[in-house]
Amino acid sequence: MTSVAARPAQKSRRWRHAEILFWLLALASPGALAGCPAGTDDGILIRQGELTLAWRPLLAADRPAPSNRIPMAKHFVLDVQLCDKDGISAAQLIKADASMPAHRHGMNYKPVIKPQGNARFRVEGMMFHMAGQWRLAFEVQSGKETLRLNHDVQAD
Amino acid sequence: MTSRRTKGLRRRAGLALALLAVLASAGADVGIELSAEELDRIASHGPWPLPWSADPGNRVSGNAAAIFLGHGLFFDEALSANGKVACATCHNPARGFQDSRNVAKGLAPGTRNTPGLFNVRHQRWFGWDGAHDNLWSSSLRPILDPGEMGGSAARSARRLKASPALHCHYRAAFGKPAMADDPELLVNLAKGIAAWQETLVSPPAPFDRFRDALARKDASTAAEYPPAARRGLRLFLGRGQCATCHAGPMFSNGEFGDIGIPFFVKPGGVDPGRQGGIKRVQSNPYNLLGAFNDDVTRENATGTRHLRPEHRNFGEFKVPSLRNLRLTAPYMHNGSIASLHDVVRHYSELNEDRLHSDGERILKPLGLTAAESKDLVAFLESLSPTEPISVAVKPMPIRDCLPATRNSRIPAAGR
Repeated sequence: MTSVAARPAQKSRRWRHAEILFWLLALASPGALAGCPAGTDDGILIRQGELTLAWRPLLAADRPAPSNRIPMAKHFVLDVQLCDKDGISAAQLIKADASMPAHRHGMNYKPVIKPQGNARFRVEGMMFHMAGQWRLAFEVQSGKETLRLNHDVQAD
Repeated sequence: MTSRRTKGLRRRAGLALALLAVLASAGADVGIELSAEELDRIASHGPWPLPWSADPGNRVSGNAAAIFLGHGLFFDEALSANGKVACATCHNPARGFQDSRNVAKGLAPGTRNTPGLFNVRHQRWFGWDGAHDNLWSSSLRPILDPGEMGGSAARSARRLKASPALHCHYRAAFGKPAMADDPELLVNLAKGIAAWQETLVSPPAPFDRFRDALARKDASTAAEYPPAARRGLRLFLGRGQCATCHAGPMFSNGEFGDIGIPFFVKPGGVDPGRQGGIKRVQSNPYNLLGAFNDDVTRENATGTRHLRPEHRNFGEFKVPSLRNLRLTAPYMHNGSIASLHDVVRHYSELNEDRLHSDGERILKPLGLTAAESKDLVAFLESLSPTEPISVAVKPMPIRDCLPATRNSRIPAAGR
């Protein structure tokens, strides 16, 4: 008896075509960041040392938010790409959150980070529930170093 | 040829000048001018009504048979343990689906003010503490609560079978007869009641006509909005910072806050507000993470999935919509404030000692003058329609069973 799982991974032509189609669709999806090096077309860039963090908000059905403006009191996803001078970064996004410094409180919802491969991450469950200035806070693990990157945004 | 072109240019220049005059006067008024930022912020509170969309978590949302069923059940006292309490007992259509009491009274006195039901389709959380993440679950709780209606699946099934009209609509909506041992029975009833409540939409109010007039640069219609309401609107957007929470077309961000209303309900008892609401919604088998959510993608469960309990949630209550306030006095989660004048006074003289030490830091006493308070009340009153809202109080007459489609939606009330 031969275990299917133990066989070498021999992909049929149909399977390979399906895989190629999948990646083409993934790359062409409207919410996808373009990769590295990240430019301003990829969203908002935060730089610290050699690391560049590009983020942009995606609304319902992963529709990019016009002009990267985050609407108040609506759930959104953060699409994050980490890059360094050599291209795709080996660093990991380990924390993403937001708070209103002037109000001294955070979000009512706990975001969850989902790695997408190639230093891309989806941060799900975000919501700015009040109008005003919010501070996005990211933590990135780069080797033994933990980098903290902040960015202030306005919700209205 | 040249003369004709000159005349054309002159006509166009004249039109442009006239348009500029209208644009300027649309943001201006006797004694008050609105900045571009204020105009933007005013525009964000509309248009009204919002477009209707079916609730993905309720497969009979928008279904005509379910709406007929829900309408009948809403006014049906036979669902209650003593046969004398219906949903409409507290949610009185003549009072914006409120009861004018400080706190609700079903089979027994409650502890919270009855919320109005107009525009309930557009809410994210239901109940003052948000203990429900969907309208049908929120509609089921009072039917079963021993202090409200004290109903049961067996009583509901008997009631449906005793009414040919209700049972006809039930079968048409859900494709099966009502059986007491069907685990879906109570949820289906609640989904029918929710389908009816989703049709309760309040018509545009004076503020909406003003907002729309500004948006289309119609200065003469905009000028019909009372000056006191305009001054109050400015306070609302500016010094009052009310729109920080009372945002968007619903005049609510749909979330929760502590505004210094006492949370004691009786000697030795407290209402924990949102803190208890989060626990209740997370443990509720009828929440959107559970088996009865008809949205197979579970995309409608994002809020429930990502809830983050915080210490500050204790004593927080839902930010209510400000629409239809003229119909729904008294105010606050415990009905402790009798009038809109008193609500404004509460914010004007806010007692900061009552606020959480780790809570909101932008709430400050507004220190309004008597004239400013009147203006703010005038604005709040302009968020209610001026004409009575027509809602059919009696259940619909018996009709033939209707096909279970979403295309046969009955029109929303008040339109």
